[in-house]
Amino acid sequence: MNRASRFMMRQWIGMGTRFLPFADAATPDLPLSRLLRLSLFQVAVGMALTLLIGTLNRVMIVELHVPASLVGAMIALPLLFAPFRAVIGHKSDHHRSELGWRRVPFIYRGAMLQFGGLAILPFALLVLAHLGDSADAPAWVGQAAAALAFLLVGAGLHTVQTVGLALATDLAAPESRPKVVGLMYVMLLVGMIASALLFGAMLADFTPGRLVQVIQASAVLTVVLIGVAAWKQEPRRSTSRLPQPVPPDFRTAWTGFLAGDRALNFLLVTGIGTMAFTMEDVLLEPYGGQVLGLAVGQTTRLTATLAIGGIAGFGVASRVLARGYDPLRLACIGVVLGIPAFAAVILAQPLASVLLFAAGTAAIGAGAGLFGHGTLTATMNRAPPGQVGLALGAWGASQATAAGLGVALGGVIRDLVAAVSRNPASGYHAVYGLEIVLLFVTLATAAPLLVATSRSAGRSHGGSPGGAGIIQEGRAI
Amino acid sequence: MSDLDDPDRVWPTGLTIRESEELHKHVIDGARVFFVISLIAHTLVYMYSPWLK
Repeated sequence: MNRASRFMMRQWIGMGTRFLPFADAATPDLPLSRLLRLSLFQVAVGMALTLLIGTLNRVMIVELHVPASLVGAMIALPLLFAPFRAVIGHKSDHHRSELGWRRVPFIYRGAMLQFGGLAILPFALLVLAHLGDSADAPAWVGQAAAALAFLLVGAGLHTVQTVGLALATDLAAPESRPKVVGLMYVMLLVGMIASALLFGAMLADFTPGRLVQVIQASAVLTVVLIGVAAWKQEPRRSTSRLPQPVPPDFRTAWTGFLAGDRALNFLLVTGIGTMAFTMEDVLLEPYGGQVLGLAVGQTTRLTATLAIGGIAGFGVASRVLARGYDPLRLACIGVVLGIPAFAAVILAQPLASVLLFAAGTAAIGAGAGLFGHGTLTATMNRAPPGQVGLALGAWGASQATAAGLGVALGGVIRDLVAAVSRNPASGYHAVYGLEIVLLFVTLATAAPLLVATSRSAGRSHGGSPGGAGIIQEGRAI
Repeated sequence: MSDLDDPDRVWPTGLTIRESEELHKHVIDGARVFFVISLIAHTLVYMYSPWLK
């Protein structure tokens, strides 16, 4: 080995794995390669989300000339399935399988639904747009087919994500869960960003044939990614020949879940906080363009700033939570960070400061990252034994429904206020102002939970409500 | 009783009849779903461009 190589080797030894992202999420039972493989289901989910919300939204309106109201209705359809995430999580908790699996059968079904939806989606869109020989076809055929395709993709992605996260919780030791959550979130973002770039590049020269190729390729990729992710991950439980106790029905399990440990309060925090952080999602770019007069390239960079803020938030959250900090308290810090961030975005207009706008956007991303990571880690730690799927399903249902409603409400409020006041800026300011109010409501809703956590930590550790107590609590669960 | 002594297990795979039935059910369910999906997709393609003429 030459001198330069020896020098470099000494540097690597000095650094260790500190700079290898998520190397510390792995444990001997769950090595990094297996964890990374499992997280591929999030890439498939991210790809489907980008396709539905981003790419097809534009393709349907610009290239296929489908009325915007119909496009809005189609894109909202997958949201109808979000509340059923709790039911799916519950079913996977109590699934009886001769093969000894609880999660894999649901991941298999979810992947099939997502594949099926994507397989018929391009043809449904072409008939919906009355292209080719379908110009004479009755309108309801295209609408029904597109609705079915969107519903199938939505049902598939919600099932895969709920049960995939439950499987990750099953496999990860309590102390490594914050890192696992961070990895899952980052992989979702990676899937969304990579597929947005790829879909954009491949659909640049739009033809109906290219649309079919792109969407069907994503269907095949979905099955491959989810198949690789779930391959040999779930251990087979031994199935007893003795009669098994009858699993509780969903209603009983749900009532029991809500009654324990302020679960409803926690779900409200997740829902209101998520809505507060998502109402501006599709409004930041037009605000930059319409009100601050930024060019298209600058506003696109803004979306990247939001994503970078989010990744920074996840990174900080993974690090802090792994040291035993209370995830709910961290989520609240994210909320507190969001309040000045939205204020900065509002003030950017009267002060005409692009820098303030960019800083506010990055802080909104970071706040949302801390909040999302904190609530998901808290959900994993608070999940009662045997109800991991139900708890994660409830979190996902509350989060996805609130996010969808938030985006829709944001647009409606912007349009209404701008129309009434005849001033485009006031429409955006009304939404950001409402988001600040919602962040305060989130803090007020979270207050009893924080007090209860501090008290229980204080009791178990002789009055020191520190992070160590919280870790103990997490492990005990 | 270890798996090797279990009279219900069929070797060399080591699956029981009930386990193989469940596996078969998943395969059949998958095939049915794919059949219905392909039927819908073919109908839509025919409406868009009959036999790609």
